[in-house]
Amino acid sequence: MADTITELFSAPLTFNWTLSYKCNFTCSHCYSRDEVGEELPTEKIKQVVDVLADRQVPFINFGGGEPLIRDDLLEVTRYATDKGLNVSMNSNGWLLDHATAEQIQQAGFKSVGISIDSAVGKSHDDFRNMNGSFERATAALDALHQVGVKTTMSAVISRINFKDFHSLLDLARKHKVSQVFLHNFKCSGRGFKNREDLDLSPQEWKEFYVEALGTKKVTKDLLISFDDPVIASLPGYDENPMVKGSSCGKLSLHLRPNGDITPCGFIPLVVGNILTDNFEDLWYNSPVLNGMRNKEAKGKCQGCGAYQDCLGGCTARSFATTGDLSEPDPHCWK
Amino acid sequence: MTFLQRNPDIVWRHEKRREEQVLKEMDAGKDVEERGTVILLISGMMHQLNLLGGMIWNLCDGTRTEEQIVDCLLKEFDVERNVLAADVAEFIEDLLQREWLIYG
Ligand code: SF4
Ligand code: SF4
Repeated sequence: MADTITELFSAPLTFNWTLSYKCNFTCSHCYSRDEVGEELPTEKIKQVVDVLADRQVPFINFGGGEPLIRDDLLEVTRYATDKGLNVSMNSNGWLLDHATAEQIQQAGFKSVGISIDSAVGKSHDDFRNMNGSFERATAALDALHQVGVKTTMSAVISRINFKDFHSLLDLARKHKVSQVFLHNFKCSGRGFKNREDLDLSPQEWKEFYVEALGTKKVTKDLLISFDDPVIASLPGYDENPMVKGSSCGKLSLHLRPNGDITPCGFIPLVVGNILTDNFEDLWYNSPVLNGMRNKEAKGKCQGCGAYQDCLGGCTARSFATTGDLSEPDPHCWK
Repeated sequence: MTFLQRNPDIVWRHEKRREEQVLKEMDAGKDVEERGTVILLISGMMHQLNLLGGMIWNLCDGTRTEEQIVDCLLKEFDVERNVLAADVAEFIEDLLQREWLIYG
């Protein structure tokens, strides 16, 4: 796109919304488990939905924390879908039995993503510190499928699964999942603390992505998605993303439980508050957002032939490890 | 039925601020043919409609025929009816083929 983001977009396309940091799990890679924060009451949450509908934001994705912990999740979703928003969520699946799946369908959810990190039940349970979680997660996928809700599966790529992501794809097929997200490892929260044990080396990332992109090319029955901008630097990369580099601050923003806006859940820089600040002003004038949209090549990115497509990789990872939005992504293998 | 309607599965947004900008550029005599004012999100891809396309898209709300859409647009553009009608017909034909527009 030749135009800069805000010349065309009057708002992001997606708000990733953490309604609560609370969770029934304590996963090793979680970015939010160690966070605490004030939560908005239902009426205020509806006011936030009003702002999003007014700004014509088409998509809301509830994440967390575990969204189903909030007992007003379905009410809020109904409110948002009645206003024309497309609502999805990411859940660990523990609380999602058949009856809940039916309520989810009735509330108007467009799709539900279940996090599954390994096709081996025991590894998933160990990683998520929760016995029986694999069983419940796969049962949640089946329950959703039975009631006609589109399902997706999310796995954060780490040392425990990077070598056998194929088995995750097979698992997705078995449970009639339509799309699999192989998320990059973000190094925030617990993920940052545990990164020595969980994160791959840059070379391993490269090998993983070469193989995974090759698989994506020949896979017709399942949509495979990545969210790692650094893959744009791989030779032969021919996807056509809507924006170059990280999409946060451009196509998406993140909401914290108290209504604070951050560029994404992994960048702890508050841009403003959706209920107390003027959204338009934040969107067009926030120095943080404009900094993310107009990164400058630093360090080895200067002179890198891939910079135009990669834009220094994942801004969240650069910020987490260096405190600077424009430094090269620590996962970069160049 | 001959009322034109947007495919309800398509997620879209009218970028009003951008449209104002494009209208100003048009008044200043600039070529705005390639400047999008409506974005459509279809199967993970974004498409943009230019000023005329965006206006037609906005008017395809299931209450108007092609004729009526041309009538509405004549108030906005200073052109011969048959010239405008031909442009509108071409655009609508293309979008009907893509199934982005349907007859409601
Ligand atoms: S990763 Fe998800 S399921 Fe695990 S602790 Fe964090 S919020 Fe809970
Ligand atoms: S050096 Fe910078 S621009 Fe080049 S691939 Fe690495 S992160 Fe991307």
